[in-house]
Amino acid sequence: MKTSRFIAAAAVGALAATLAACGGEGSEPDDGVVHLTFRQFDPADQIQGLVEAVDAWNADNPDIQIELETLTPNNPQQFAREANSGSGPDIAHLALADVAFLAEPNILLPLEDLMAEQPLDDADSLLATEMTVLDETTWAIPWTADTMAMVYRDDVLADAGVTETPSDWPELLDVAGRITDASGGEVSGFCFAAGAQQQAAQWFAINYYMWNNDFQLIENNGGDWSVGATQDQLAGAIDYFNSYFTEGITPTSMQAITDYADPSVAAGLGDGTCAMTFMPPAAFRAVQEQVDAELLTAPMPGGLDDGSTHLGGRALGINANTEHPDEAWQVVQYLLSAETFETYDQYPASASTLTQLDVDPAEQGFVDQLPHSVPFVRYIGAPITIASLQELVNQQFSAVYSGQADSATAAQAIIDAIERELQG
Amino acid sequence: MTTRRTSLQAYLLSAPALVIVALLFLFPSIYNVILSLQEISPFQGPGDGEWTGLGNFEYVFGNPEFWSIARNTVFWLTALTVLLRIVFGLALAVALHSPVLRRWKVRGLARTLVLIPWMVPQVVAIASWRWLLDGSSGVLNQVLVGSGLTDSGVAFLAQTSTVWWSIVAIIVWRELPFVVMVLLAGLQSIPDEQYEAASLDGAGGIRAFRSITLPNLRPVLTVVVLVTVIQTFNNFVYVWLTTGGGPGTYTAVLATELYSMAFFANKLGAGAAIGLVMTMIMAVFAVLYMRATRTEDQ
Repeated sequence: MKTSRFIAAAAVGALAATLAACGGEGSEPDDGVVHLTFRQFDPADQIQGLVEAVDAWNADNPDIQIELETLTPNNPQQFAREANSGSGPDIAHLALADVAFLAEPNILLPLEDLMAEQPLDDADSLLATEMTVLDETTWAIPWTADTMAMVYRDDVLADAGVTETPSDWPELLDVAGRITDASGGEVSGFCFAAGAQQQAAQWFAINYYMWNNDFQLIENNGGDWSVGATQDQLAGAIDYFNSYFTEGITPTSMQAITDYADPSVAAGLGDGTCAMTFMPPAAFRAVQEQVDAELLTAPMPGGLDDGSTHLGGRALGINANTEHPDEAWQVVQYLLSAETFETYDQYPASASTLTQLDVDPAEQGFVDQLPHSVPFVRYIGAPITIASLQELVNQQFSAVYSGQADSATAAQAIIDAIERELQG
Repeated sequence: MTTRRTSLQAYLLSAPALVIVALLFLFPSIYNVILSLQEISPFQGPGDGEWTGLGNFEYVFGNPEFWSIARNTVFWLTALTVLLRIVFGLALAVALHSPVLRRWKVRGLARTLVLIPWMVPQVVAIASWRWLLDGSSGVLNQVLVGSGLTDSGVAFLAQTSTVWWSIVAIIVWRELPFVVMVLLAGLQSIPDEQYEAASLDGAGGIRAFRSITLPNLRPVLTVVVLVTVIQTFNNFVYVWLTTGGGPGTYTAVLATELYSMAFFANKLGAGAAIGLVMTMIMAVFAVLYMRATRTEDQ
């Protein structure tokens, strides 16, 4: 009897202790040193330069130590869950498109006061601030910038008698077709990740095509959102991309992949069976290291026309829960500085810092295109999220590639789904 | 007095388990119901949602794709893969149970080999299969083209004629060992005397299988079917990592739809509504499972 009573008491005690432990907040070591957590979401193999920059900060600033935390892929919802429960990292790496979602519930710290106390250098030259300043409040600071540029094998183009990369979309189809024909079908003139998944890379090319042809998925008419394309325009876009498959320019296997740097794309660039594709700078560098061939970049078709390509990138935000906003702001300023970008292999989201960088000639396509790129701000604030638009568009284009629907039906399905969302 | 003390002890002893059940199962279930009745995004905190009544359910059922997604979940993802696992699992279990393997002293090796797919993490299994099935450089296509069976590679995961069969193959390959092991345990519990008696009565192998093996295995089979149905119906990983629901929405299932709704569209309430629908469907199976196990206990 005594034993069972003891067991019962011990069990209840153990449970209580466990629950108490679950509810506790970690306390900082009381050594006078401010410890800040900086969470970033790029893959570990792409951040060696950032690690070096953080190490340099920690060496120079013994009173403010940064702990770099990598949590990949990007998961703003997790950050929101943590912040809503009073925790989370002090400094967060954010996709530009996510800033608005995190600003609305006040998860991020408004930065006006900090900017007034310790102004940013070259604040006027920041790119993509329309994604981070909402209702005249600054919620995050644009940090890195990227865009999709054409990546190609100059020698493979030359084998087909092509001396210049295509400057517009019809020319891309024509040139890609010529390259495939000249190789007897051995070489894909243009290969791209055409999967149905939300994250499939074709989303970017599809938007570039639309924007270059003066239409877009949704339009903001003074806060009143509507579909920004007609059925014919969308069907034309679908037919255009489907042509790559129907004409045998792009292998059907590309319809099952999502990543611009998928091994099959990288392998194709490496062995010369893929002449042209598109990807952002970080992916380009990763593929460059993998393949034993010279890769070059050029602007996308229409990429030198203002607003025909997107300005992607990352921003830095400060968690509203941080106990050390001033120190966090100092760290943010350091991360934004040219000093960080000496080791961190990314393009800064600052026109002035960008001009101070030595760029590899192979990456000239990105540099030429960036000044003409615009953020996805045209889709921000709509009742339908960009992620939902991505999924919808990729699915419907994929449905046509795989023969489940014709282009008119798929185009109408896109319009119907957008309208359904816009109506709430 | 003693009775009261005994019952108090019983309550105290069971309190931790009850608290854990309440925290881990009851609270999330109730919270899911609350979420399904609210308009709330993943970026909002608890209590920040707006009540919408049954609006989320209207929204979910109003999706023109919903019924084809439900059909995919019921037929392709669940019914077909469970049926194939039972059929192949039973065949393999019988093979592994055969005296021949014992005579050749390879029974242990054979059972270990059968278990291997189950030891491989799901993500690794899917990645390996994606590599095998790749339309351009996949091993399977290299064999097909190399042997002259096809002129060019088959894009198994990109065309509607092959994509579901590919997913089914992955699920069956990875999950078959569980079924085999459970059925093997069932086979081992059948007394040899029954087979000896049947043999004396002149029953052949097929007759013995029909009249002895299957009736004896029925309770185990029932449990295996119910467990695998529940496991598979809710599975998100196989479809999501293999095709993401594509091509188009051809392989979308309820679990992937739930994810898209909650984390792409930021409609946590609508996602919770789908989750609740899935839970209710599975509750039916759970009741059947409890009945089956109770019958078996009796």
